[in-house]
Amino acid sequence: MSFIHLNVASAFSAHYGASWPQDLAHRAAAEGADALAATERDGLYGAVKHLKACRETGLDPILGVNLAVLGPAANTARHPVHAPRGRPRLQVQGRVIVLARGNCSGAGYRALCRLVSLAHEGTSAHRGAAGGKPVGVTHADLATCAVDPEEGTVLTVLLGPDSDVGQAALGRDPSRARSALGRWLARLGRAAVRVELVTHLNTPGERLSSAHAIRMLRAAQALDVPAVLTNAVRYADPDGAATADVLDSARALSSLETLTDLQPNGQGWLKSPGRMQALAREIAREAGEGALAAELLRATGALADWARMDPVSDAGWGIPVVPEASVIGITGRPDAELAARCEAGITRLLPRDAGSRALRDRLALELGTITDLGFSTYFLTVAEVSAMIADMGVRNAARGSGASSLVNFLLGISQVNPLAHDLLFERFLSRDRTTLPDIDIDVESAERHRVYEHIFERFGSQRVTLMSMQNGYRARGAVRDAGQALGMEDGDLDVIAKQLWRFSASNFREALEEKPELRPFAERMGAERQLDLLVDLTERLDRLPRHISMHPCGVILGDNTLLDRTPVQPSGLGLPMSQFDKHDMDPMGMLKLDVLGVRMQSAMAYAVSEVVRIHGDGEAVATAGAHPRGPGGALPEFLDADGAIALERVPLDDEPTYELIRTTDTLGCFQIESPGQRELIGKLAPREFNDLIIDISLFRPGPMQSNMVKPYLENRHGFAPENYPHSDLKPALAETHGVTVFHEQVLRIFDVMTGCGLAKADVYRRLLGNEQAEPRVEELYRARAMERGYPLGVIDEVWKTLKAFGSFGFCKAHGAAFAVPTYQSAWLKAHHPEAFLAGIWEHDPGMYPKRLLVAEARRMGIPILPLDINRSDASYRVERAQGLLPPATVPPVYRAPGTSRAGRLGIRLSLSGIHGVSGTEVKRVVAGQPYDSLDDVRDRSGLSRSSLRTFAALGAFDSLQQAAGRGNRADLMVHLAGRPTKTLAQRHRPITGQLPLPLGDVELGGLAVGAAEPSLEETVRTELDLMAVDVSGHLMSSHAPLLSKLGTTPAQDLLGLRNGTEVLVAGVRVATQTPPMRGGRRVVFISLDDGTGCVDCTFFHEAQQNSGPLLFATRLLLVHGLTRRTGPRGISLQALQAWDLADQDSLPAPGHLSNPDRVKETFTGLRGKSDKHDGGAQPLARRMEAEDLDHRGPGSVPEDWPEFDVG
Amino acid sequence: MGLFTQSVDVECSTAGLPLRLRWQGREYRVAADPVRWFERRRWWAEEVRAERGRGPGLVDHEIWRLQVRLAGRGPLLTFEVSRDVETGRWRLIRIHDALLESA
Repeated sequence: MSFIHLNVASAFSAHYGASWPQDLAHRAAAEGADALAATERDGLYGAVKHLKACRETGLDPILGVNLAVLGPAANTARHPVHAPRGRPRLQVQGRVIVLARGNCSGAGYRALCRLVSLAHEGTSAHRGAAGGKPVGVTHADLATCAVDPEEGTVLTVLLGPDSDVGQAALGRDPSRARSALGRWLARLGRAAVRVELVTHLNTPGERLSSAHAIRMLRAAQALDVPAVLTNAVRYADPDGAATADVLDSARALSSLETLTDLQPNGQGWLKSPGRMQALAREIAREAGEGALAAELLRATGALADWARMDPVSDAGWGIPVVPEASVIGITGRPDAELAARCEAGITRLLPRDAGSRALRDRLALELGTITDLGFSTYFLTVAEVSAMIADMGVRNAARGSGASSLVNFLLGISQVNPLAHDLLFERFLSRDRTTLPDIDIDVESAERHRVYEHIFERFGSQRVTLMSMQNGYRARGAVRDAGQALGMEDGDLDVIAKQLWRFSASNFREALEEKPELRPFAERMGAERQLDLLVDLTERLDRLPRHISMHPCGVILGDNTLLDRTPVQPSGLGLPMSQFDKHDMDPMGMLKLDVLGVRMQSAMAYAVSEVVRIHGDGEAVATAGAHPRGPGGALPEFLDADGAIALERVPLDDEPTYELIRTTDTLGCFQIESPGQRELIGKLAPREFNDLIIDISLFRPGPMQSNMVKPYLENRHGFAPENYPHSDLKPALAETHGVTVFHEQVLRIFDVMTGCGLAKADVYRRLLGNEQAEPRVEELYRARAMERGYPLGVIDEVWKTLKAFGSFGFCKAHGAAFAVPTYQSAWLKAHHPEAFLAGIWEHDPGMYPKRLLVAEARRMGIPILPLDINRSDASYRVERAQGLLPPATVPPVYRAPGTSRAGRLGIRLSLSGIHGVSGTEVKRVVAGQPYDSLDDVRDRSGLSRSSLRTFAALGAFDSLQQAAGRGNRADLMVHLAGRPTKTLAQRHRPITGQLPLPLGDVELGGLAVGAAEPSLEETVRTELDLMAVDVSGHLMSSHAPLLSKLGTTPAQDLLGLRNGTEVLVAGVRVATQTPPMRGGRRVVFISLDDGTGCVDCTFFHEAQQNSGPLLFATRLLLVHGLTRRTGPRGISLQALQAWDLADQDSLPAPGHLSNPDRVKETFTGLRGKSDKHDGGAQPLARRMEAEDLDHRGPGSVPEDWPEFDVG
Repeated sequence: MGLFTQSVDVECSTAGLPLRLRWQGREYRVAADPVRWFERRRWWAEEVRAERGRGPGLVDHEIWRLQVRLAGRGPLLTFEVSRDVETGRWRLIRIHDALLESA
């Protein structure tokens, strides 16, 4: 006989359940159950995963929820009955399980969704925040949702040990238990109420003991309510009990030792039918009623049968739902409307190609597929959102495989013409794929929330909700919570947690042995036995969900039944958020739109607006940016008469842009600013847009790890002959010189070899790497290719490629969509460098700290204008340099020929982002500008006393002092430190338009003078402390004497050195990366900035061992290493050892490198066998060969690469 | 009441219910329905490891309260024994007062 568990919380009950839904389902199925419930705490967080797991294991799913029941609070002095707004204050009175009825056309599931949403209504999105009501439902909420007008009772409440009935029973108060149960019956009716017996075989008489269950049984019997048996499951097997203990401790923020409501023991696992039947018999025996066991099991089975769901008819599994056509303003047939809009798009975007055969064929293919799948409304919906965003004046661009679609291009959703880049529609959508395709839209990050609000307004809040994401434990969080459970000291935990460098907690033990920065900790493990436990518990927590939060970009759009299909809860934004995450969208037929805030889009929008502001009109912009003019001096097509640049219309063949990219001075540019990317573009030397697409596609963990980069580069530069397994494959592989890089190429290879068609080819591609399915694909591939007469050797070779690349190759459409902002940002840097940098500083889009980009401004010859009370704005502003121009010099960083000379425009520092100065203060300062005296500033700016001192320290009043002709910055600071503040009260401040009497600067006029001018080092220190940016000079400049003693080499001089030269370099850490590497061993990249440029240091295993903990913790580093040429303009350092520059005692002695006694270092493992090149190498190849350029280096991929939904 | 952690031999029925107990060379017979429960352990203080996959017996241990008579004839005594789920070994952990008085 089977037993069906009706009370089961999975790991998606954050800080409660310890097992994954699939593990629970597998266990239940293995024990012979044919159904299983998922009843998460407070929501349906794991519901879709449960449905999926049940489908896979052949179980009938049952859904429910574990909810707190709220009732009016007892009136105490500390907690008045009424909340401030007059509503009765609610408090938790226990918890119940609510099960949804199944097989009733979704009425039960609907009621469950609505009930869960009600439980969260009015709560605060921030955990522990005051003011919100607790998550939970009242009796009235339950009564409302439990009955469906047509289906009758659709929810059943299980009153278990944690309910008010169960609590009363535990307190040995049978009459209170009976009256509590009576109240439930009166409110919900008999059909909706069951008593839930649980025994965890706790000490007799205690909570969750058999005696507790029997007392509840007595109440049920007294009122003739059926009782059912569950095990209140929190883990799949007994091993999970300890994990649950730690989760309890994390939830209560308390150590295990001091925790008051630990689970009584470890019996809350998914027990087998045999064990559950034994429990039923044990309760029956102790109750002295032999027949009871069978009755209990029968009632449990009957309730399970009532609740069995059909995922399709009840929850809408797999049925795509899009907004009603009427909502997006369509009255006719959506298919006809879509076709008409595409025609309009051709007229607007591709008038010259209107009759082209390729275009017509492609359009017919796409429209045919979309119509057959019934997705026309979906595309029209996305087009509607895209148009709405454009109407708001917000930059937006489609990313991802959506760029493969001509329809998307014609509708204005995507900016990439797929025909121009040979992108395949089948990679995006085909008749063999019935899930809604993903279309992702990048918008300016600064406008993202406004865009969300508009979408809610436009479609109505019943059709829109934000998507959520599950945040799982990673190493740091897991160590903290595990340590807290063990009662370890916060200080110790801080040290440990900070040393953990982004690896999965489950590898903690191996990491301890491997990672040098964890060495001190590993040594302590031997001494303190608690640390062993800490490691074990950290591993237990690994990846378990901690909480959900708003997904950074997902918006769910549906019809007006959306809220019947997903429960929602408040998000941090105030907008409702679904309890489902991205993995739940496809199964639930939900249309998810990724509206991603991209800081680079904001930065570019800002740069474009600064260009208009500073130059005024199109003529001036064209001159300043050296933009090519049309016949008769006409402005280029992308430039309006008012000076506005339409970046999406800038031609993709601007030579200066590629020249800039080839110099690798690409700091600030989208996607190509990281050390690894700068190395790669240096080697690749892009000449056209397709090169950028390839560059971005190569710079991925897969290609990097499988060494696709080297053969590509060798073929590209003519070091090695291109190799095609068969001449039939040449058309597909020619663009990447025979190396398979793109998904699109994999599709074409399948098609060529088997004749399967591109749509089927994409299905096969998706099966590559799937253990079960891949052999079938291989069999089919081989049979078909044989039939088509390919030689066995070719078939083998091609299969090897497919097998290797299929699973991680890159979708070319992704690369193409990414290459657009990459190109646009580089174009701005080449033509309007000041506005570009101002945009970068303003929106901070990249991976580097702002101070590195300030250093970049110096290298670009752009004056950084100091903070000024009258000239600085709330934003970074481009400003014409005053007075005499500095002597003409050519800055190290490339700028397009013909653009206005470096130094004519500067960037004025912004008032925002200064430590301790509030946004409100900045607003008032700006509103009050200009100020004619320090008194004026005091009177009208509203700056607090400390902000006044901060401003003075940063020199914001230097210009006022110059005007008053008295004292220096130090004098003013002494003055301000001494004098108490005397801000005028509001009523004494001059009203707008009222002119203060022109008294001159009375305060500055009386300033005591004579303090010493602050040194440059002091000024820089102040700037770093208050703005995190060194403006007046580079942070490293004060270390100059020490560095010259040590004999370090400046970054800018490295390029002139031979490959393999031994050097010392020093600088400020600006980036640290631990990319995934070929061969598995970790490599650490540290970029140092020394003011003359950036040195990228590569630490292999041994160097990491030599450097120890300071690899990740130290700011100023001295590094000993060997130069490594990476390209004609690229050089990096293979580090041998690093020191903390601030720890002067530890540093090597002056003249370290020239010390004859020292063992000389040579490359370790870098020099492979030199490859044989044929004589006919191209010029670049010859040059690289002559210079002995190493291009066998590993390159790097940042770990935080945006995650693509490539599958 | 005394606290012990001595090894004892327990003989069980096919259903797993204890029938007889051998301790200090003497045999006691179970004379009433035994009571069984699972008692929590302070494993974080008592154990040095809690690795994943360790299995049952970390968080709680199984305790039986047995009312026994020496050789089936002596006065009724109450023993509490625990069973280690991993090894199947039994340990005597408590003997209620009656025995101590008689001993």
